Amino acid sequence: MSKKTYATAIRDTIAEEMRRDDRVFIMGEDVETLGGVFGCTRDLYKEFGVERVRNTPISEAGIVGAGVGAACAGMRPIVELMYMDFTLVSADQILNQAAKTRYVFGGKARIPLVIRGQQGIGRGNAATHSQSLETLFMHVPGLKVACPSTAADAAGLLRTAIRDDNPVMFFEHKALYSVSFDVPDDTEYMIPFGKAHVKRAGKDVTIVASLLYVSRALEAAEDLAKQGIEAEVIDPRTLIPLDMDTIVESVKKTGRLVIAHEAHRMAGWGAEVAAQATESAFRYLDAAPIRLGAKACPIPFNLELESAVVPSIKDIIDAAKAVCYHQEG
Amino acid sequence: MAEWIIMPKQGLQMTEGTITTWFIEEGGHIEAGADLFEMETDKLTIRIPASEGGTLLKILHPAGDTVPITKPIAIIGASGEDIAMMLASVEKGAVTPQFATPRAKMTAEQQGIPYQEVPGSGPDGLVIERDVLGYSLAASVRATPLARKLASIEDVDLVSVSGTGSHSKIMAADVRRAARRNRQSSVRGEKVIPLTGMRKVVSSRMKGSLLDMAQATHRITVDMTESVRLRDMLKEVEIKVSYNDIVLRCVARALSEFPMMNSSWSDTGIIQKEYVNLGVAVAVSDGLLVPVIKDADLLTLQELSACSSELAVKAKENRVTSEECSGGTFTVSNLGMFDIDSFTAIINPPEAGILAVGKLSRQPSVIKDEIVIRPMMQLSLTYDHRIVDGAPAAMFLRRIKELLENPGLLL
Repeated sequence: MSKKTYATAIRDTIAEEMRRDDRVFIMGEDVETLGGVFGCTRDLYKEFGVERVRNTPISEAGIVGAGVGAACAGMRPIVELMYMDFTLVSADQILNQAAKTRYVFGGKARIPLVIRGQQGIGRGNAATHSQSLETLFMHVPGLKVACPSTAADAAGLLRTAIRDDNPVMFFEHKALYSVSFDVPDDTEYMIPFGKAHVKRAGKDVTIVASLLYVSRALEAAEDLAKQGIEAEVIDPRTLIPLDMDTIVESVKKTGRLVIAHEAHRMAGWGAEVAAQATESAFRYLDAAPIRLGAKACPIPFNLELESAVVPSIKDIIDAAKAVCYHQEG
Repeated sequence: MAEWIIMPKQGLQMTEGTITTWFIEEGGHIEAGADLFEMETDKLTIRIPASEGGTLLKILHPAGDTVPITKPIAIIGASGEDIAMMLASVEKGAVTPQFATPRAKMTAEQQGIPYQEVPGSGPDGLVIERDVLGYSLAASVRATPLARKLASIEDVDLVSVSGTGSHSKIMAADVRRAARRNRQSSVRGEKVIPLTGMRKVVSSRMKGSLLDMAQATHRITVDMTESVRLRDMLKEVEIKVSYNDIVLRCVARALSEFPMMNSSWSDTGIIQKEYVNLGVAVAVSDGLLVPVIKDADLLTLQELSACSSELAVKAKENRVTSEECSGGTFTVSNLGMFDIDSFTAIINPPEAGILAVGKLSRQPSVIKDEIVIRPMMQLSLTYDHRIVDGAPAAMFLRRIKELLENPGLLL
C-alpha cells in the first residue's frame, strides 16, 4: 500500500498500463507537457513520448471520434476530456458511435476506449463546468459507467476499464483529486465492474452513494450511529453494470433505502436504484425509498449557492431518519 | 383532495387522546406546519401541527372529546370541496383502513399477527415493522402482573430481564434485581425527569393561578369536639364517614350561603354559579388530581362520603376521567394525614377559593377560663381577592367553623 492522491493514482495506473501494453495511449487537451489541467498525465510524455501522450485541438467531437477510430483499428486509447461536461460536445461520437459500433458490426469491431475526465462541484466552476452527468450515459446501451470514490477504486477501476474491450465512461470527481488514500502497489490491481463495495455495514438503513457522496454518506452514518441508527453505506462503483444484488440484499436486511448523489435528482440514477430495489424487494420495504440529488437548478458559480443546490450531509441524515421513522428524543 | 386528520399515536403506550383545543375554527385556513390542535394523553400534552395546509373542512371531534388513536378527528382539504362521502362513512361508523408497510405486513405474517390489530406509529398511523416487532415482543414476554407493574415504575425493559420463575416467567424479584443493576451501572449525577402530561398540567395551572389571581389567606382554628362526637355516633350505627367528609359537607353548605365564594372571574364579569361542585385534591403516585363531587350541596353526608371515597380510589388507580376532574367550583385540600398543622394552598383556577385542612389533634384550649384538652383543627382559606374581599371571606371561613363546631346546624 502507498499513500497516493486520487489524481496520482490515476496517473500511475495510466503509466503502468502504457508500460504493460504499447497499444495503450492517451490523448486530450494539454495532456502532454502540461500534464493535464489536474495533473493526471503529469510527466507521462517524458517516458512515453508525444506519440503516445498526444495533445489535441479543443474539439471534443474530434478527440472522441479519433478515439473510436483508433479503438476500431486495434489500439486501446484513453481520451481525456478536461471537463466531463464536454461529453455533450462529443455526444454523437459517444452515444451513436462508441456505444453502437460493436453492435452494428455484429461484434466484429471492438471499441476498447476509455473516456475519462472530472466533473462535479467543489471549485465554483459554474453551470457548464460543474455538472454530474453520469446518468446520461447509463441510458444508452453500449457504454459502461465507472465512478470511483477513492484513489484505490480509481486505480482498480481504471485498469479494468483500460483492459475492457468495450467503451467505458470514466467519471472522476474534481473535489477528490487532491485527497490521499491507501492504494495497493500491485500493478495488476483490478476491481471487477458490477461489484459494489459495502463501505460500512449497518442494519437499519441502506445508503447508496457514489463519487463525492460516498464520504458524505459515511460522515452521515457516523452521526446517525450516535443517534442509534446503523446505516449500511454502499458504493456501487460502476453504475453500468450496476450491482443491484448487493443493494437488494442490503435492502432486504434493513428495509429502508436512501440514495444520495450529486447528479440532479430528477431522473437521476437514484431513481433507477430505487425502482429496481422496489421491484426486487417490495415486501421487505418498511418505507418508500428516498432519493437525494441536486435540485432542478444549474450548478451556481457562487460556492455557497453551489453547496446549497446539492444534498448536504444533514440532508442524508434527515432522509435516513425519515425512512427509519426516527423520533427525536 | 380532502384528507382525514386522525388521532396521532404519540408514544408506544398511547391508546387514546383527548383533544383540548382546536387552534383553527371549522372553515378556517391553516398552513402546513402550523399548530392545528392540542391534545392530552395520559402522559403528556402536545400540540400537533398540520401536516398539510388547507381549509379545515370539518371538525369531527370538538375539544374535550377523547378519541382512540388512528380514528379520524377532522377533515382537511380545499375550500368548498365535497366531503359528503367522507362524512357518510364516519356516520356509518366505517373504520378507516389500517395501512401497513410491505415489510410490516411480511413480518406480521411471519409472526402470525394480524397487522390490523397492531397500533401504527408511522405517519397517519401507518403500521411499520417496529410496531409489529414491539407488539409481538411485548406479547411474548411472560411476566407476573406485579413484575409488569414494577417494570413500568422502575422503567425496566422487560425484554431485557431474564425470568427465574417457572417456564422463565419474570418475577417481581427479577425486575428489582434488574432495576438495581441499572442503578448501579450508572454514575451518580443528575437526571432529567421528562415532564409528564400531569406534571405539565399541574405546573401550568399552579403558575397560572398565582400569576392571574390576587390570592390572600385567612386562618382559623376549629374545635372539632362536636364533629368527633357526630362521627363516633355514626360509627356506632356502622355508618363510616371521615372528618374530611364532614368538612366537605360543611363547606358545601357554606358555599350555598356565600355564593361569592362559589364563583369565578371573567373579564366581562364575575360568574356566580348556582351549582356547588366540590373538588377534592388527591395525591397520586406522580402528581396531583382533583376529582370533583358534582352538586355537593345537594348530597347528604353519607352520599358525599360515598362519592368522595369512590373518586379518591379511582384517582389513585388512575381511572378517573377528565370529565370527573372538571367543572369544580371550590376545592378542599387535606394534608392532615401527613401530620401537617396548617398550610396555604394554591387556588385551582378558575375557582375563587381553596380550603386547606390541617390535622386534627388534641390541644390545650381555653373554655370558660379553664384549660381543657380539645380535638382541634386548623383551616386556611385562600381566596381570590379580585372577587371576594377580606371581610366576606372571613365570614365564610367563620361559618365553616361554626358548622363544624355545631354539626347539628347541618340538619
